[in-house]
Amino acid sequence: MAYSDKVLDHYENPRNVGSFAKNADDVGTGMVGAPACGDVMKLQIRVGKDGVIEDAKFKTYGCGSAIASSSLVTEWVKGKTLDEAAAITQHADRGGARAAAGEDPLLDPRRGCDQGGGRRLQDQARRGRRTRSRRAPQEQAAD
Amino acid sequence: MATENERIRMLRDRLAKGLADIEEIYINGDLERRVPHNLNVSFNYVEGESLIMAIKDIAVSSGSACTSASLEPSYVLRALGRSDELAHSSIRFTIGRFTTEEEIDYAIALLRRKVEKLRELSPLWEMYKDGVDLDTVQWAAH
Repeated sequence: MAYSDKVLDHYENPRNVGSFAKNADDVGTGMVGAPACGDVMKLQIRVGKDGVIEDAKFKTYGCGSAIASSSLVTEWVKGKTLDEAAAITQHADRGGARAAAGEDPLLDPRRGCDQGGGRRLQDQARRGRRTRSRRAPQEQAAD
Repeated sequence: MATENERIRMLRDRLAKGLADIEEIYINGDLERRVPHNLNVSFNYVEGESLIMAIKDIAVSSGSACTSASLEPSYVLRALGRSDELAHSSIRFTIGRFTTEEEIDYAIALLRRKVEKLRELSPLWEMYKDGVDLDTVQWAAH
């Protein structure tokens, strides 16, 4: 497998795994993907009154690079404003989180695996701006 | 050959038995009418390629296609009536002439540990544990 050391590190020691109480006022929850497609990523952010993301947690069902890029994106968003976080996409640097982790996704037929990270984050930041959502993630997935 | 088949079948059955009480696992295919050296198991809520990475000490393949050029789940498992998600969560074990009982026991212990770890990472496992019927969720595929 052609995973970089950084991808392997995030896969083997994922950061910020877990869940916040999804009905908390300062928590936003976003989820993308589908089990039938082989990946589902859930990202939660806790946002301060100043609009800065104080903390982030994730859970991901998916291949190794999907898990690694989810972990990485939780590190990226902490300390960012919602607008700054929304600027992170899978296209930001031609490969999103996985490219940043030192791997060229264009060499990998599985590059679909890690595109959820950026997409989910945009989704998430949009929700965060619109409302401090109180909805359960499974309801949000229906959007 | 007959003796060897019998030994391999016993190892395969030992593997199947060692995994049997893990919650939400599915043996794919018939256990009686089956070649003796093969076991194919779906570990629900754990994606196959990530499980392969977690058990890199043992050589297995995934019924799903993260290991090949396609992202499609195994059409064989689909034809056996498995859902796409179970097909994405499958591992194919094969036992050979040089496989030992100790190796089978090692694989069982490793799998039990890693499946638990990956389920802690899985939003689907969390939803299952919360009593959410995943079939009723309208997923936002990307």
